[in-house]
Amino acid sequence: METIIDLNEINQQFYSNHALKNISLKLKSGRIGLLGPNGAGKSTLLKILLGLISPTSGEGKVLSESIQSSKVKQRSFFGWGRNNFTLRGTQRGNERLRKKIGYMPEADALIPGLTGIEYVALAGELYGMPRAQAQRRAHEVLTYLELEDARYRRLEQYSTGMKQRIKLAQALIHDPPLLLLDEPTSGLDPAGRDAMLRLLLELGRDFGKSLILSTHLLADVEVVCEQIVILLNGSIRFQGNVDSIRSQQHDRYRLRIQGDNRDFCKDLQLEGIEILSENNRGELRVQVPKEWQTRNFFVLADHHQVILRGLEPDQETLEELFLRMVIVNSPTQVELATK
Amino acid sequence: MVNPQLEKSSLLHYRPWRGELSGSWRPTWAIARTALGLLSRRKLFWGLYGLSVMIFLFFFYGQYLQVFLEQRVTEENIRSGGLFPKNIKPETILHQLQNALQLNGSADTYANFIWFEGYIVMVILALIGSAAIGNDFHHGSLPFYLSKPIGPFHYIFGKCLAVGIFINLITTIPAVLLFIEYGFIDTWSYYWDNLRLFLGIIFYGSLITITLSLLLIATASWVKRTMPMVMIWTVMMVLGRMIQRWLVDGLHLRKEWRLIDIWNDLYLAGHWALGTPHEALRPPWQMQPSYHAALLVIGICIVTCIFYLRKKIQAVEIVA
Repeated sequence: METIIDLNEINQQFYSNHALKNISLKLKSGRIGLLGPNGAGKSTLLKILLGLISPTSGEGKVLSESIQSSKVKQRSFFGWGRNNFTLRGTQRGNERLRKKIGYMPEADALIPGLTGIEYVALAGELYGMPRAQAQRRAHEVLTYLELEDARYRRLEQYSTGMKQRIKLAQALIHDPPLLLLDEPTSGLDPAGRDAMLRLLLELGRDFGKSLILSTHLLADVEVVCEQIVILLNGSIRFQGNVDSIRSQQHDRYRLRIQGDNRDFCKDLQLEGIEILSENNRGELRVQVPKEWQTRNFFVLADHHQVILRGLEPDQETLEELFLRMVIVNSPTQVELATK
Repeated sequence: MVNPQLEKSSLLHYRPWRGELSGSWRPTWAIARTALGLLSRRKLFWGLYGLSVMIFLFFFYGQYLQVFLEQRVTEENIRSGGLFPKNIKPETILHQLQNALQLNGSADTYANFIWFEGYIVMVILALIGSAAIGNDFHHGSLPFYLSKPIGPFHYIFGKCLAVGIFINLITTIPAVLLFIEYGFIDTWSYYWDNLRLFLGIIFYGSLITITLSLLLIATASWVKRTMPMVMIWTVMMVLGRMIQRWLVDGLHLRKEWRLIDIWNDLYLAGHWALGTPHEALRPPWQMQPSYHAALLVIGICIVTCIFYLRKKIQAVEIVA
């Protein structure tokens, strides 16, 4: 698998807002989830990968095209160099890069007044496709995305699901090797969301597209992606594959106890067990350390003469795990080896 | 890599595309064509365009009528037809056409024509600015354009091209047609003797195109919606004219106050390009600022628009 993204110490600052801090990433081709709460810096990172904005400092390569910091680029005007060949080269580099990338923005980004087919064909022409080929390809892509019946309808008349699909269509028109998808399931109902995720999975798994799926929904990443990058406050909090994040999940149990359980609970805590919740009906939710064995619950119950009437595993969901990871204020970056 | 089994199994699957992508200039034409297409879908546009064609036809047949009358000036009276036929002296109409409307193939003919068409251009630009440009900012379509392999310059150039084609359809091209017509009804040497006029028309049209397209894109990206656009253009083109007249003709302040009227500045620049001496500007009682001052104001206006657009598009890139 080839490395598609290689970033080194990327920083992005908008006035006093430090949007990205020392981002160093090496990602191989595949389906990658870029996860983080709102304001984490996901969209900014996508724009840097696309060459839309230049990082304040740092450097990197996306699909073998260089990304340069604004310290170099800011001297150009409208992206055009001023008697400087290398600046013009940067602009051309960005253009070459964007030809290899399909970008699906989070915002609607539709052109009112155009029909679906005109919009997608225009995207093709903007990528540099000849007009006739752009038209033909637009029909193909819209058919693939099941929008063939709506292709002659004005974009204003599209539902949210159709808008999301047509945004995907305009990103796919030139058949790029890499797709940058900014919140592709935003505003979709559950059925629409499933359909969109299925499409993305199919594109990545069966048609060899590399995807970078930016979202704040871990469930979306779970369905589609193999690799995951978690961003928080502009820093990478976790980078690894989805399986490795699962290994970070804590084992949890739901216990139902009959009798006075105060001493039993104290002993549980002494054993390193965290009591997450407890109600006055004797129901406990606990989180156990890795080496804990289930039969130890019964041993302790017998010791404190309480009856353990219920014991069921209650594993931490990936959503809870994600929340736990983003709430931790440790500045150190957790890195797990990609399998 | 595409799974080969899938490729065979369904006709509705994703198909790869193999082809060459061109450079950044072809997309600018696509941007311009799309913007023109959006404009042409508005009925109001066609209504106003029809009005501009009527102004052109008035000048076109006015020139023809003038030549027709010149040939009959020896006759004492021409009997007009219609419901109320009456005798008309050819000299009277000829005087009207030559002196009041200046339909004599001179610099004034073309400058006046473009001046009159300018009213229609202003109204259409004010009404279409939001459809062609403002919506890109209002509906967040700019990231759609800028995420493609084009720069902000290509986007602006594409939009300017659309506005420019439209402006030239109403001003420069009809003015050139009038020039060609006058040559036909005058003598062939008219073309050669008045080459300066032809080049002047092209320069005037280009200046109007550059200035108004940049001004339109700048104002449309600022206010975005149609009604505010109409208000801004009314202030710039109508109120500006009223104020300059009130200041110079009413309060007898310096003639440089006329420079606040951008359409008047373009008119002066046009006359400069057409080679009209400053003292021959019409009407003679209206003191006008120098040609250079008008050109300077237009230059400042263009540069300001370019800087504003650069800043505006950069901001959209960042926040969109």
